[in-house]
Amino acid sequence: MTESKIYFKFDGKKYAGNEGDTIAAALLRNNVRLIGRSFKYHRPRGIYTCGIEEPNALVQIINEHNEPNVRATVKKIYEGMIIKSQNRWPSLKTDLGSINNILSPIFSAGFYYKTFMGPKGFWKNVYEPLIRRTAGLGKPPKEFKSKSIHQHHNVDIIIVGGGLSGLLAAKKFAGTNYDVLLVEREDALGGILKNANKIKSINDQSSNDWLEKTERLIRNSNNIKILKNTLVTTYNFSDHLIALEDKNVGKPQNNEKPELVLHKIRTKHTILANGHIERFITFRNNDLPGVMLAASFEKYLNRYGVVPDESPVIFTNNSSTYSLLKSLTDLGHKPKAYVDIRDQKNIEKETVDLLEKLNIPFYPKSEIEGCEGQKEVKKVSIRTKKNQISKIKTSMLCVSGGFNPDIHLFTQSKGLLKWDKDHLTFKPDRIFQKTITLGSVSGNFSYEKLLVEVEKKLSEFEGLNELEVKFELSGPEKFQIKELWETKQEKKSLWSKSFIDLQNDVTTKDLKQAVNEGFNRIEHLKRFTTNSMGTDQGKISSINALGIVSKILKKDISEVGTTTYRPPYSPVNFSAIAGRSTYEFYDPERKTPLHSWHINQNAVFENVGQWKRPWYFKKSEDETMHQSVQREAEQVRKTAGILDGSTLGKIEIKGKDALTFVNLMYTNSFTKMKPKTGRYALMLGEDGMIKDDGIVCKINDQHFIVTTTTGNAASVLAHMEEYAQTEWPNLNVYMNSITEQFATFNLSGPKSRVIMSRVFNDIDFSNDKFPFMSFDNFKYLDTEIRILRASFTGELGYEIYVPPSHALKLWQKIFMYSRDFDLVPYGTETMHLLRAEKGYIIVGQDTDGTVTPLDLNLNWMIGKKKKDFIGKRSLTRIDIVRESRKQLVGLVPIDKTLGIEEGQHVIEQKDLSLPIKDPVDMLGHVTSSYFSPNLNHSVAMALIRSGKRKIGSRLFVSTENLNTIAVEVVEPNFIDPKNERMML
Amino acid sequence: MFTIRCPYCGERDQSEFSNGGEAHVARPKDPEQISDREWSEYVFIRANPKGIYYERWVHTHGCKKWFNAVRNTSTDEILKVYKIGENPPPLKEFKNTIKTPSGEPDVGSGNFSVKKP
Ligand SMILES: [Zn+2]
Repeated sequence: MTESKIYFKFDGKKYAGNEGDTIAAALLRNNVRLIGRSFKYHRPRGIYTCGIEEPNALVQIINEHNEPNVRATVKKIYEGMIIKSQNRWPSLKTDLGSINNILSPIFSAGFYYKTFMGPKGFWKNVYEPLIRRTAGLGKPPKEFKSKSIHQHHNVDIIIVGGGLSGLLAAKKFAGTNYDVLLVEREDALGGILKNANKIKSINDQSSNDWLEKTERLIRNSNNIKILKNTLVTTYNFSDHLIALEDKNVGKPQNNEKPELVLHKIRTKHTILANGHIERFITFRNNDLPGVMLAASFEKYLNRYGVVPDESPVIFTNNSSTYSLLKSLTDLGHKPKAYVDIRDQKNIEKETVDLLEKLNIPFYPKSEIEGCEGQKEVKKVSIRTKKNQISKIKTSMLCVSGGFNPDIHLFTQSKGLLKWDKDHLTFKPDRIFQKTITLGSVSGNFSYEKLLVEVEKKLSEFEGLNELEVKFELSGPEKFQIKELWETKQEKKSLWSKSFIDLQNDVTTKDLKQAVNEGFNRIEHLKRFTTNSMGTDQGKISSINALGIVSKILKKDISEVGTTTYRPPYSPVNFSAIAGRSTYEFYDPERKTPLHSWHINQNAVFENVGQWKRPWYFKKSEDETMHQSVQREAEQVRKTAGILDGSTLGKIEIKGKDALTFVNLMYTNSFTKMKPKTGRYALMLGEDGMIKDDGIVCKINDQHFIVTTTTGNAASVLAHMEEYAQTEWPNLNVYMNSITEQFATFNLSGPKSRVIMSRVFNDIDFSNDKFPFMSFDNFKYLDTEIRILRASFTGELGYEIYVPPSHALKLWQKIFMYSRDFDLVPYGTETMHLLRAEKGYIIVGQDTDGTVTPLDLNLNWMIGKKKKDFIGKRSLTRIDIVRESRKQLVGLVPIDKTLGIEEGQHVIEQKDLSLPIKDPVDMLGHVTSSYFSPNLNHSVAMALIRSGKRKIGSRLFVSTENLNTIAVEVVEPNFIDPKNERMML
Repeated sequence: MFTIRCPYCGERDQSEFSNGGEAHVARPKDPEQISDREWSEYVFIRANPKGIYYERWVHTHGCKKWFNAVRNTSTDEILKVYKIGENPPPLKEFKNTIKTPSGEPDVGSGNFSVKKP
């Protein structure tokens, strides 16, 4: 071979591999067999398979942002790749965690559930850190910016698997009118033709020639798209599949291009031709490096040109290993021994002849009892047909325990399985979606029958091509197998174990113990033992586990049933799922037209939904949040403050029946309301609970503008649409979101009228001409603005609605005209404080979806004379009028120096000293609490049981320790209880 | 992940739609005249059967229109969509086989991927 070498590093050492090698192939080429340490016992582990089913050979790719748990049997090498083994410390060869193996009696089934029970605090401080250090797979990757993308397909047919069956199906469809997607997980089509020595020729050509010709035909057909290096991971309901394409196979990372593509495929029919997976057999120390599945060994020979070992022992319970024997001996190598559990009379003549001809030691009706070796296989021990133990020196053991149709995707699609007695495995039975299975995935392991199967199952499609294919096989055509899940063990040292799940370190002993403890349902057993719960999902072992359990339970395997197969088939990178929806693309950020001004004024922002809102403004670098908020709140009530309220939702409602509709949507009555006035209004759900609040402005009976809270803008519009469309479609009414059509300023404070008069000197803001809750539109430069006199804070206040293009200039103008008043910009935290001082609620803070207007003492907002509005009937339900509901009250600490914490409980008892004998009766909780700079003490609001009746009494509020704070229960209106300031 | 045929826009991905619960639950004409129990049934109680069912859907990320659908809740098959105001098709029009993925019982759920012998 003249191929150029590729150099990579594994655990610091440099190795050379060939182009196209997987990490595993390249390491085997260099005779490296110890790849990692196991999950629980830290036992040495090697390469068990040659593909996606690998349980052991998981590695970390250091130069790909530390990508962990990469299958060495799938990932291809490239120049400069840096690979590290996983779950070992300090090094792979001397691993201290392997002491767990000696301590293994305490690590048995249900270990985690049983052992780490107490004492209190031990889980968090001792157990979890310990488990995390000693058990597990790779380390988390470093942060990186993914360039993965999503791609959508709509096709007539998807063919999953480009092996022989998939190719035959594709050939049938080539050049027809069907839109076909052919998906192959390897980098080349061909499957078994490339992996094994089973087919000598097709149509008298070598199978490679046939493959090349067929691929060319498919490529030139114009109706079939081929995706290679693409793994179908998910078969959802409604003919929807998801596949993961690796765009970077055998190439170093390029951060400019998408490395992964998540294909979302909608199809009319799905052809599953995804083949089969070889399973193992359980024996003593069946996990040692050097034990490998037989078909995988053969795949290394045929596909990669790597000979993992020149003289392995072969152990089988079926006829398929002839192909391995043939491949190996054709290369001039000779197995150490051939061990077959079947009677000699059942073993195929071809096999026996070949063994005899080459003089290979042959053990019919024998089994492997176990393996010996510290870090890899040194010897195997064979139990011969006379029940004697015979030991053979070898460094490799190839095992075949039979084949399972790869039914994962089929069962994801909700297809049903049945037990196949001839092949001792589950195979597809009843389809649930438009699924066709072809080849070994359908349980058909015969090449002769494959052609018949393809013709028959594709006969529902019209206009397909005729197939002319003739196979010449190199081995026995008929598949024959004898049941064998676990071999009989000779000695039982502490170190010796027989594994049923290699990745999660589950032994057959664990299975037996779990059944003894009563876990006799397969789904319970799986969770209790963690069998088949690793990232490989027990692909080579789960049927063996069923076999062993069915024997213990003395039931048929079909009665035991399988556990549920859930997507994905194999782990999918989060970066692929996220696609481009990361960082700035994850969630849009909404900024008001004044955003740049806020940044210049050192605003600290708060996220409200997608909006960035100023939370508070830092006047100097060393000003704390508390200081900022106190300063802002004090200034507002002293002179004036201004808040950017642009984020408030605004909905325009128009139509002949707008008045009727608004009357139905809100609790208040709007019928007698004069045009050009506004009203603070409540929106309820049908259950009577507060949904939102806002101001309803009436332009006339056919035209309203309502505001919503920032976070509820979309849901309030959706709520209105729902009722307009479904409940009252006869009403002539139209809604439109105009949130972003206007910037909104809330000017508050005793000086706000003077400021308004200076800025808009042609408008009369006197009480007579511009009374509380009135609004009007005014010409402003080349546009129009709307000014509403309303109060957010309990102070004299105005709301200005201005088109975004004029917002910044007007905002600056307002500041220019109010220098002598020290007009203060304030943020949401100050707004909450000012509202709390007045007992004004914040929907979502003082309400939580279980609070009615009656609970908040807002009866005055309910239009009792209205015949109906959403939620009205609920307000008279027995539970809603119950006096003992939680109601909103104000709390003031008796000791005025103390602060109350939001979320704390309100209780009747002062003394909480330990031990607490009786449960503490909790009356409710504190919903809002602030230190009021204007009153110089804390004010709080709370929802407490029978709150209205408790006004004037003394209660206690819990703290983070066992102290309580004595409070007086008051009306929730702490400043200006007669509401005179806003009427100024 | 199934598709839904919006009666206004055509077939679209399920992710564009939101479910609005049982359809044809009429809001009482005169809420003041009915008992607490009757009103509560309107507000809180829905049939939620396993099988064929009238449902409301809204094309949230599309035309924002509400419409009705007949869906088999055990298989997620949408058997029919129709506009608000149109008469609901009688359920007997559809074969109510309660065909569940794995032949599980009519009530409750299960995960049996092997057919019951
Ligand atoms: Zn639509």
